[in-house]
Amino acid sequence: MRIAWRELRRRPGRFGVATAILTLIALLLMFLGGLLDGLIAQSTNAIDAQRGDLIVFSSASRESFLRSRIDATTADTVRSVDGVAEVGGIGVVQLGARVPGNGPRDLAAVALFGFEIAPRGVPGIPDRGEAYADSTLKQEGIRTGQTILLGPARTPVRILGFVDDTNYSGQGALWASLDTWIDVLRSNRPQENLADGTVQSLVVRVEGSVADVAERIDLATNGETTSLTVSQAVDAVPGVKEQRSTFATIIGVTGFIALIVVALFFTLLTVERTSLYGVLKAVGARSRTLFAGVVLQALVVTAIAAVIAGGAGLLLDAVIPSGALPYQLGASRIITSIVLLLVAAVIGSAFSLRRVLKIDPASAIGSSS
Amino acid sequence: MSTDRPTDASTTPSDRAMGLALHMEAARKVYQMADTEIVALDHADLDVAPGEVVALVGPSGSGKTTLCSIAGGILSATSGRVVVGGVDISNFSQKQLTAFRQSMVGFVFQSVNLVPFLTARENLLVVDELGRRTGAAARKRADEILADLGLTDRAGNLPAQLSGGQRQRVAIGRALMNDPKLVLFDEPTSALDTRLGEQVMGLIRSEMKSRNIAAIVVTHDERVTRFCDRTVHMIDGRLDGATPPAMAQA
Amino acid sequence: MFRARNHGLPASVTQRVFLALREMRRSKVRFGLLMVAVAMLVFLILFQQSLANALLRAFTGAISNQTAPVLVYSVDGQRVLQGSIITPDLEAQIASVEGIAASGRLSVGTFSVTADNELLDATIIGYERADLGAPQNLDEGRLPDKDGEVVASLESRADGFDLGETVRVEPGGLELTIVGLARESQLNVGPTLFASAATFGEAVKARNPDAGALLPNVIALQPAAGVSDAELVERVNAVNLDLDALTRDDAASKTPGVQQVRQSFNIVFVLYGLVVPLVTGLFFLILTFQKANALTLLRAIGAPSRRLVISLLIQVLVVLAGGLIIGIAGSAGVTSGRIGDLDVRFEWGPAVFWLVVLTVLGVLSSLVAARRVLRIDPMAATTGAGVGR
Repeated sequence: MRIAWRELRRRPGRFGVATAILTLIALLLMFLGGLLDGLIAQSTNAIDAQRGDLIVFSSASRESFLRSRIDATTADTVRSVDGVAEVGGIGVVQLGARVPGNGPRDLAAVALFGFEIAPRGVPGIPDRGEAYADSTLKQEGIRTGQTILLGPARTPVRILGFVDDTNYSGQGALWASLDTWIDVLRSNRPQENLADGTVQSLVVRVEGSVADVAERIDLATNGETTSLTVSQAVDAVPGVKEQRSTFATIIGVTGFIALIVVALFFTLLTVERTSLYGVLKAVGARSRTLFAGVVLQALVVTAIAAVIAGGAGLLLDAVIPSGALPYQLGASRIITSIVLLLVAAVIGSAFSLRRVLKIDPASAIGSSS
Repeated sequence: MSTDRPTDASTTPSDRAMGLALHMEAARKVYQMADTEIVALDHADLDVAPGEVVALVGPSGSGKTTLCSIAGGILSATSGRVVVGGVDISNFSQKQLTAFRQSMVGFVFQSVNLVPFLTARENLLVVDELGRRTGAAARKRADEILADLGLTDRAGNLPAQLSGGQRQRVAIGRALMNDPKLVLFDEPTSALDTRLGEQVMGLIRSEMKSRNIAAIVVTHDERVTRFCDRTVHMIDGRLDGATPPAMAQA
Repeated sequence: MFRARNHGLPASVTQRVFLALREMRRSKVRFGLLMVAVAMLVFLILFQQSLANALLRAFTGAISNQTAPVLVYSVDGQRVLQGSIITPDLEAQIASVEGIAASGRLSVGTFSVTADNELLDATIIGYERADLGAPQNLDEGRLPDKDGEVVASLESRADGFDLGETVRVEPGGLELTIVGLARESQLNVGPTLFASAATFGEAVKARNPDAGALLPNVIALQPAAGVSDAELVERVNAVNLDLDALTRDDAASKTPGVQQVRQSFNIVFVLYGLVVPLVTGLFFLILTFQKANALTLLRAIGAPSRRLVISLLIQVLVVLAGGLIIGIAGSAGVTSGRIGDLDVRFEWGPAVFWLVVLTVLGVLSSLVAARRVLRIDPMAATTGAGVGR
């Protein structure tokens, strides 16, 4: 094994080819993963940012933020349930914002949320007519202190500051009080008028077992509500589940391709080393030792490729303006990709095993007699 | 493979065989090729004492390589008895042969001698790393052997940085590392000119003698036989008996 | 007769092909692995291509395949059908534009619908005139004649939206009967129902009895004779900055998200596409180095360089062809049917495109190895230097 290690250090060029291609494949893996995470985050991180344990929807809405309706009485019922520590209403309306300085047809897509419990990053509940904006909206020209006009009714909202990572359905969120939200809704969507005190869903903070309280809430409202944990609510956003499974398949096949590439190039390497292995076997090396060396080299090469790709992937994440491409590379994604690659490396190097076993020590003697 | 040998422990090899570095008795190697048999080695009898240097001469295809492979535990004989350093390897499995080679035999190949990306010293240490892993003891021994061979200042060089003669000496050093009972040399002088060839053979002789290690030197080169205690000829797989010892150089 | 045995090709060509193939037969594992790698890459590219196209079709198919050539949104709608609202005075302004042969209102909404005893989301598109908003690709059945009848997207059949089935809008329980099925007419990757404007109104009322007067989301227009779609779009946009007119195709491709999906997939394709020539080219380069001595020997005994290069290229082509065929066949086999909510299908267009691109790139990449072969010096056979690194 030490021999294999020394070969890596002394003859790095020999492994250059396999490393280069594996880096490309690793980059692909990270990019795909980052794309998936970015796509999902873009749709759902406004939900993810909620500082609560449960999101309560109306059952008829089938876990859609947009269609769910919870009236004041239901909200009170939820408040009175055992284990419920805090309840905050949430409403959302999606519209176009006219931003000073932008062209007349160049509207910024926003999702205005009215809230009672401040999500992660939002300092507090703004006054009527004011809101915090998601940082992706900076790309649309929105600045602190500006007043933007929402919807066809051009309802004015003043921007107090920015928050990170709160998007819904690909739009940047605006975080405002429930009053502001209802004002904007009534002015711009008369068809979707809601009675006073009605919100779209509830964010609930829980004391005790989350699952138990969720059940109790739905029982208390006679099944009128469906209570989900925050991550369940994220998964329920249309498209998320399909995206995850489709990408998982593609990522899996790509990992398999990495396996084949390792197998291919290490088979070629093994062929080149046939005579060397013959000599080593004659001197007393066991096949097991030689094969372990191959596996070690495959792992090192793959690890290097993974690190380079990881670095490039992170660089990409920093360089791509947030909003241009749905791409977000997190630690867990990098780790998953690296693990997948290392497993592929080990299995791929197994293709050389037969060849290593077949090498006859007798071949080392008398090669030209 | 071996069909008519005594293999159980109750049979002790003869005292003579025990004391010899190599005792080969009626060794035969037969290859099956489609419907014909190829006899590579035909009832070879060969005894080599510790410290004895034997030249093995014969034309290409005479079976010299096969004999050495069997003596060195790289190949198993089809029939016959092979005892090296008192160990009967006639019926050893591949695994046993591998372990045997690690500790009892040394090889100096004609080509593809050294691992190209290891220094001279590391090439010597390969044997230890593949086998018993004695660590510091092995390093000490490697340095001693290198000093014996006059390679101390070349210890950190890669094979590409060494001359042909120096590489040959490193190969010899490697063969000596595990303190073998028998070393097999395959055409050690074929790539060297007369002067270097004589130097190498002289070195081989002195190293073998001083450590009391037996050697079989396969060679075409009649000049080499001068350095050996006796010459054995092979033709068509048969040994033709030992010729009287040639004049040995001191 | 000799020629006939060689399938009509000159003997030298068939000889070379067989020699090249024989070498491949002897090293099955190596060439096999390379072919498998190429095949899998091709498979993935085509699979994702089908996926991307299916996704986009299921996202905006309803727009691309309805009868109205020009759609007018309100700018605030940001090119999302449901986000757009046309107020009466905007409608009047549209009507004032010259060159309109006919106009009709479109209403679009997402509803909870019970189908096959399961509650699902469905998009309902209500149109006033069949020639401005009804689906074009009616594969089965007919368009609705009366209230309560709808045409459903064909792809949603498995979800319970089959010909003759009745689905219910919840809450409220309004029943809708499916009288027709239309292909590639989905919106937002879900079941899509086309209904008359009146039926749409009923659905809204059933769900929310307090709903106010219904405003249309989009006005569909038919340009008059002599006026092109693009011209009409320009004229409408010129009338009022709050109006956003688009041709049918633009409306589909400029729907938010479409561009992003296309861009993301394109980047993925480029990356995968690069791997193929890289792996192929480097494989043959390494092989050339490994065969250095044999090649040098051949040159020394008089084989012309050209013949060695051609042998190399034959192997490259065989590997690429094998990989491409297996990859294409594989993706054709797998991509037909449903993947989640998507109706994925194998498309010849992209298959041919990638076939050509990857073959060209693969051959180009092997030119590096070919160059090495050409540089072999037969003299080196005598000195043993060979190709050397």
